[in-house]
Amino acid sequence: MDKIFDVTYIFHSIPLIAKALPLTLFIMILSLFFGLILGLLLTAMKLKNNIIINSIANGYVAFIRGTPPLLQLFLVFYGLPLVVHSIGIDINDWDKVVFAIITFSLNSSAFLSEVMRSAYLAVDVGQREAALSIGMNTIQTITRVIIPQAFVIAVPNLGNLIISLLKETSYVFTIGVIDILGKAKLIGANGYGVRQLEVYIGVAFIYWAICLIIEKMISLYEHMHTSKFLKNNADH
Amino acid sequence: MAFDVQFAIKTFPTILTGVPMTLFITMFSIIIGLYIGLLIAICRINEIPILKTIAAVYVSFIRGTPILIQLYIVFYGVPELLTYLQQSGVLTLSTYGLPHIMIALLAFTMNASAYLSENIRSALNSVDKGQLEAAYSIGMTSSQSLRRIIIPQALVVALPNFSNVFLEIAKDTSLAFSVMIVEIMATATVAASSGYRYLEAYVDAAIIYFIVCYIFGKLFVFLENRLKRYKNISL
Repeated sequence: MDKIFDVTYIFHSIPLIAKALPLTLFIMILSLFFGLILGLLLTAMKLKNNIIINSIANGYVAFIRGTPPLLQLFLVFYGLPLVVHSIGIDINDWDKVVFAIITFSLNSSAFLSEVMRSAYLAVDVGQREAALSIGMNTIQTITRVIIPQAFVIAVPNLGNLIISLLKETSYVFTIGVIDILGKAKLIGANGYGVRQLEVYIGVAFIYWAICLIIEKMISLYEHMHTSKFLKNNADH
Repeated sequence: MAFDVQFAIKTFPTILTGVPMTLFITMFSIIIGLYIGLLIAICRINEIPILKTIAAVYVSFIRGTPILIQLYIVFYGVPELLTYLQQSGVLTLSTYGLPHIMIALLAFTMNASAYLSENIRSALNSVDKGQLEAAYSIGMTSSQSLRRIIIPQALVVALPNFSNVFLEIAKDTSLAFSVMIVEIMATATVAASSGYRYLEAYVDAAIIYFIVCYIFGKLFVFLENRLKRYKNISL
């Protein structure tokens, strides 16, 4: 080794690491999808006027927010097979990716429910009353009047959530899933591991780029929305 | 293999010994991170050329990459940097065996400083400009007005976010085991591996993290209420 640090190796390693990018995005998007469904359920539970249902939802959210995601991953990875085994199903040979998706779905659902709840409460009560008064039923009111408005309010927080979820998917290599960090580790271990630093900088650039893209998309959406809103107002 | 409650209870005190390390890393990085974060925020608010850009890129990089990768970059990067400095004769100190705790502290401090700088920036911006002008007009210097007028008010705004960053860092320290720091997560893994009782040990760890986060969450709420007291004083 004549050179300690080889910058060209960073650029050499990025395309190799990026081969695992689909898996990282797959875990992120599926977790987000299931997290949204579960989060919706949690939000509904929190908004109910029932102390028991409320405290179940709040307790769940407090637990998820109070423990590290890495620990949650380990709990699901080691705990879920035991729990499911007790009702007679063997999931030991399931793909590890499934455990990762379950963990991050459970994790993101708690944070999503907080975002959804605050967005829901931010929509003026009058909107709901107006919708009900023109004869919409509860489901129509929620899907046609509340959610479209709440979504706009939730977008900035949603963006932050997606970014932190993306970063948290980097923990999956600890249970043996080869995501982009796992791939980077494998490549870094080649050649007696003298090029580890370059590889990790390479993978950092990939994460950074995706985060910037997500941020850009969010701000583009906000920009589009505000301009649309302003145009509508100008027409009146 | 069912859940062994006996084992979980027996190992609980063992895992508890990892708490001081977790808290040490968290507090160290938050306290030092506050100072660095303040510097970054000042650079960005006063729009100092070059420094402003460097600060923006730094914050964006830290916020855009997982803490785990930042740990690895520091873990592999700092020794290489030191070796390089040594070879070029800048540094004469022996760098053999840089303690791992230094690596973890450096990585977490950098991480905390980036997040805190954003909070400090928004908190400082939230204080009315008239306050600073009033402070100047009665003859305070820049540092006096910052220390006595701006910061006490900004602190109230910033505290809920500080609390979030603090708890985030506390949870993120669970990754420090990857650079061989023995904190809660590592003690749990070690305790578990003796009998392959990972679930029990991790449940213990989860309870400990939850309690730690709960206590500090409550502490910050208490602090926030105390800092808000000045608002109740009627003139």
